[in-house]
Amino acid sequence: MMTVPIGDYVALAAVMFFIGVIGVIVRRNPLIMLMSIELMFNAGNLLLIAFAREWLQNVGQIFAFLVITVAAAEAAIGLAIIVTTFRPEKYVDVDDIRALKG
Amino acid sequence: MRAPFTAADWAAIYPVGVLTAAALLVLVADLFSSRREQRYGSVGIALLGVAGAAYLAARQFGHNHDAFFGGFIVGGFAAVFQEIILIAAAGSLILYASIGPPQRVAGTTAIMLWSTCGAMLMAGAANLLMIFLGLELLSLGLYALCAASDRRAAREAALKYLILSSTATGFLLFGAALLFGATGSVRLADFVNPAFAVNPLYWTGAGMFLIGLVFKLSLVPFHTWTPDVFEGAPLPVTAFMSVATKAGTLAVFARFIYAALPATIAQDVLLPVWIVAGVSMIVGNVGMLAQTDLKRLLGYSGIAQVGYIIVALAGSTPLGLRYALYYLAAYAFMNLGAFAVAAAISGEAEEGAHLSSYRGLGRRRPWLAAAMTAFLLALAGLPPTAGFLGKILILATAVSNGYPWLAALLIVGTAISLYAYAKVIRAMYERPEGAEPSDVRPFVPLAWLSAGICAVAVIVMAFYPLTPSNILPLAH
Repeated sequence: MMTVPIGDYVALAAVMFFIGVIGVIVRRNPLIMLMSIELMFNAGNLLLIAFAREWLQNVGQIFAFLVITVAAAEAAIGLAIIVTTFRPEKYVDVDDIRALKG
Repeated sequence: MRAPFTAADWAAIYPVGVLTAAALLVLVADLFSSRREQRYGSVGIALLGVAGAAYLAARQFGHNHDAFFGGFIVGGFAAVFQEIILIAAAGSLILYASIGPPQRVAGTTAIMLWSTCGAMLMAGAANLLMIFLGLELLSLGLYALCAASDRRAAREAALKYLILSSTATGFLLFGAALLFGATGSVRLADFVNPAFAVNPLYWTGAGMFLIGLVFKLSLVPFHTWTPDVFEGAPLPVTAFMSVATKAGTLAVFARFIYAALPATIAQDVLLPVWIVAGVSMIVGNVGMLAQTDLKRLLGYSGIAQVGYIIVALAGSTPLGLRYALYYLAAYAFMNLGAFAVAAAISGEAEEGAHLSSYRGLGRRRPWLAAAMTAFLLALAGLPPTAGFLGKILILATAVSNGYPWLAALLIVGTAISLYAYAKVIRAMYERPEGAEPSDVRPFVPLAWLSAGICAVAVIVMAFYPLTPSNILPLAH
């Protein structure tokens, strides 16, 4: 079985991370910026899992799960803030969905 | 099968647990209370929770225990930081009760308590997972709190804070992953091995980890978000953020530089941090000069104040850590006090943060003006306040640790800051030209109480320089 050397993982993670950083700096759409931040987090996750395998330490995998959970919460709050910032007047209410009376 | 955690492990997080329970109780109690009693009910329960947590955290002072396999270290260090964070939470909750908007009280109170939990976890965190978890719990709550206002500026501040702070978290996480890769462990205590000092992964990891922390501390190259977010966020949230975030992050920073860096390379790794702290003292104080909004002014002031605290840590001596803690406690009181005065002259609709609303305050509200003067003198580091003593101690430790250039920058920064603080004091006591601003608001008892307590603390601390002695060791 062929194994991928750890240096390749580090290089890929570094590339992902810097694509994320450049995305945050260059792009002006907040949704794309949030995606870039997620990319940075996932670069960290990739490193954690690769090193967990390298060191045979499961704590790296646990850390990655923790990061995934926290990143989900972060995305939820981030999307909520983006929605309230860009649509201050319109609010969403299921009672207003009345066009179709099927 | 043996349970992995002992009773002592669970006892370590009792203070955090009490706060979490209080936050849930706030949400449940809100369902059963009428609209009029919602605000005081929620904040009352929250303050009881904070008091309980403060009692439990104080009992941990002097009892060192490594809970959860060294992930969370209880002891003097964590206890002192947790008390400072709880003081910030209590002060902000009181301000929230007195001027916060009447809507969404329970949710805001609960989120503030959870944010406090995050900062408290950071105070005791001794492995990378706990640091990350505490930091995110604190930050996620703060993003939501910033947005919890009907003003457009608040939502813009929240968005700005979210994007920039998350980027910093990304740096911190990537740095943490590299540190794990270099050492094969997530415990800070395992990083001390000098054998790692030659590993480029370790250097890169430590550097990116520190970049993340420096951003959260709003030191100079990463400071531009602070004044904007401080200005936009609701006043009680700004008060909380200005103390709790700094305290939590400083706890992680101090534990990292004292317990996780091999002594042979520590000062080389940290030299950029000392330089950044020195530049922050100048830039923060110069930035204050042009400000006309008190929250913005205190934002810039905070950049410089963190610089002062980090100067105390330069050289990584135990004495420096004690002085840093003393100054941080003093800073908590002077900053919360200044925000309390701002809250006392604020209405529910508008915040009394613009400097013009302080004109003639010395004649309209002499006691408030006196308290504000005490806070500003303390921030500037003039006697007879705790800020003066704190700065003298920091200067002494910086010189004796071999960083006289940092001491010199501190003195220059202080001299610049005097002008900015004096501008506010002058506005309060000068005779107003033309029409006197007629914003004599109704007496706001809670904000006055908070300002009074802080004023007494700022003066009394100057005469009783309590610097906690048994705060070491930070990791085993």
